[in-house]
Amino acid sequence: MLEHGGKLRHAAQRYGIALDQWMDLSTGLNPQAWPVCDIPTSAWARLPEDEDSLIEIAQHYYGAANCLPVAGSQAAIQILPRLYTQHKNTLRVGMLTLAYAEHAHAWQSAGFKLILLAADEIETWLNQLDILLVVNPNNPTGHTFESAQLLNWHQQLSARGGSLIVDEAFMDPTPEKSLTPYTAQKGFVVLRSLGKFFGLAGARVGFVFAEPGWLDRLTELLGPWPISGPSRMIAAAALEDRIWQADMRKKLQRQGQRLAHLLTDNGLPVSGGTALFQWVETAQAESVHQQLARQAILTRLFTQPRSLRFGLPADEQQWHRLERALIELDYTDEGSDSLCEVAGR
Amino acid sequence: MTTLFITLVTALLFDRLLGEPRRAHPLIAFGRLVQWLEARLYAGNAFVWGQRLRGGLAVVLLLAPLTILVWFISQGHEIALLVNVLILYLAIGARSLVEHACQVRDALLEKNMPLARTRTGYLVSRDTAKMNTQDMARATIESTLENGCDALFAPLFWFLIAGAPGVLFYRLANTLDAMWGYKTSRYRDFGWAAARLDDVLNFIPARLTAFSYACTGKFVSAIHCWSTQAGECASPNAGPVMAAGAGALSLQLGGPAVYHGQAQDRPQLGTGSLPEADDIDQAVNLLRRSLGLWLALLTLVWGGLQFA
Repeated sequence: MLEHGGKLRHAAQRYGIALDQWMDLSTGLNPQAWPVCDIPTSAWARLPEDEDSLIEIAQHYYGAANCLPVAGSQAAIQILPRLYTQHKNTLRVGMLTLAYAEHAHAWQSAGFKLILLAADEIETWLNQLDILLVVNPNNPTGHTFESAQLLNWHQQLSARGGSLIVDEAFMDPTPEKSLTPYTAQKGFVVLRSLGKFFGLAGARVGFVFAEPGWLDRLTELLGPWPISGPSRMIAAAALEDRIWQADMRKKLQRQGQRLAHLLTDNGLPVSGGTALFQWVETAQAESVHQQLARQAILTRLFTQPRSLRFGLPADEQQWHRLERALIELDYTDEGSDSLCEVAGR
Repeated sequence: MTTLFITLVTALLFDRLLGEPRRAHPLIAFGRLVQWLEARLYAGNAFVWGQRLRGGLAVVLLLAPLTILVWFISQGHEIALLVNVLILYLAIGARSLVEHACQVRDALLEKNMPLARTRTGYLVSRDTAKMNTQDMARATIESTLENGCDALFAPLFWFLIAGAPGVLFYRLANTLDAMWGYKTSRYRDFGWAAARLDDVLNFIPARLTAFSYACTGKFVSAIHCWSTQAGECASPNAGPVMAAGAGALSLQLGGPAVYHGQAQDRPQLGTGSLPEADDIDQAVNLLRRSLGLWLALLTLVWGGLQFA
């Protein structure tokens, strides 16, 4: 299993600070989650039905007709390679060197050999690929691809029977850049998630968009009732709540900029980011990570390249705490303990 | 009369087939204009009547030019019919009203409380967080009955009385009331003129709507509720509409509700049982039957004039 952000209990034990003292900035999930209220007993007692309002609401929200709800985009990420395994020795799969690590893990576990590329290398390598998988906006770098470029890549790939797979887990703050409306075309797959923007990571709801035949095969692999009834309910309500969404988009854009400024002003210039997280490349990543952890602030550390990802503080008090901790950072500190375990990939 | 009749039926058909325009509704542009003018005319420290005068001036500046413009256009020949149909179509929102109500009903029947809450929140300004099924059904039915006047019968009435300029004037005044007609410290005086104008414009349509609900529902109970309960309502026009509607449906509406975090005591309306999700259909059907009555009467009058 790969390491991820959000392992607060682990950090609490490691640094000997009680769980409730921590500010968790390690995930990039919106800390101001969509407000879930009472779920009726019937939702727990009955089997979930595919004929509820969820699909119709999702079609409207994402602007796409063919969608399949899954138990978080992780469920899809893991199972996606299995739709291609019969050609695993011939298909050439390209993805970003630095991106959400579960993608590479899933394809490698399924026996594929990967071509790892930097964002600016894709164009040159494209004619050697059958499948291109990008995360857009990318996690953790925040790099965003132009829609026109992705559409152009898809055309080139699909012309020779290939596919473009786009993980849009962090797309909700900028819906105008989403490619879900194009997924009726052959060889075009988009993944979305309710974990980040809506802050409903615990509900485990995501969506896969692709042509109907392809989705049918995925449905077969997933089996019946892939997500729980209560999760379907919450997802439907959150996706329908356009007032909350519009309000949250504005808030998150402001907060994302505020975080970028706060980090830059305190000696940690950001290399990229989205409304939901900022990414800082620094040779002192490990030391900064530890110093903040000793102040009970958990960030996500990456070792290749040495960098940190900061999610959004939850409230004004946390913003001030982060600011104080950043001001107190000592850049001559070398850092001590082994980090392999925390860093993952 | 023939042109009027054709325009009205065509606009209703457009609404039925197309619903509200999803993108770029002209009322959104008007809303921006309203905010722009409000920023220039609202005075932070004016006296009561000074503020009322400023609000009144704002109403005149917003309504008069557009109404006169539409009056000029509707005098012409070639495009007049098209413009009239378009304006009436944009002024009525019957289909969207019914769709919103049915969406709450569907969510309630699915027992998806969070979704029902979100959808009810689109219809009413009261807080939905602590509502149960009956509260949401009640809020939806109240909204359906009340908007039946604002978004259907009142526009039709003003179109019949004064054509396209009339319906435009009504719709814009109604929008101003929705933006300014609040008894908050900011709008109590500035919104005074808009609120009074809306009261006047809705006076007859509200009573015609109430009477239509009575005629196409339980007549005796509707008239009884109208005459005994309408006066207790804060709004002079919503009172008859809601009381007659509640009576026509034999449902208990009204009663306390929470607005912006503050509980408000509203009078009890209607008779009989508390509304359930299925009763939303009853309210929608009452609205449909009332529209049927209006169309039948109009056809009779039009036919009569053809023979006369």
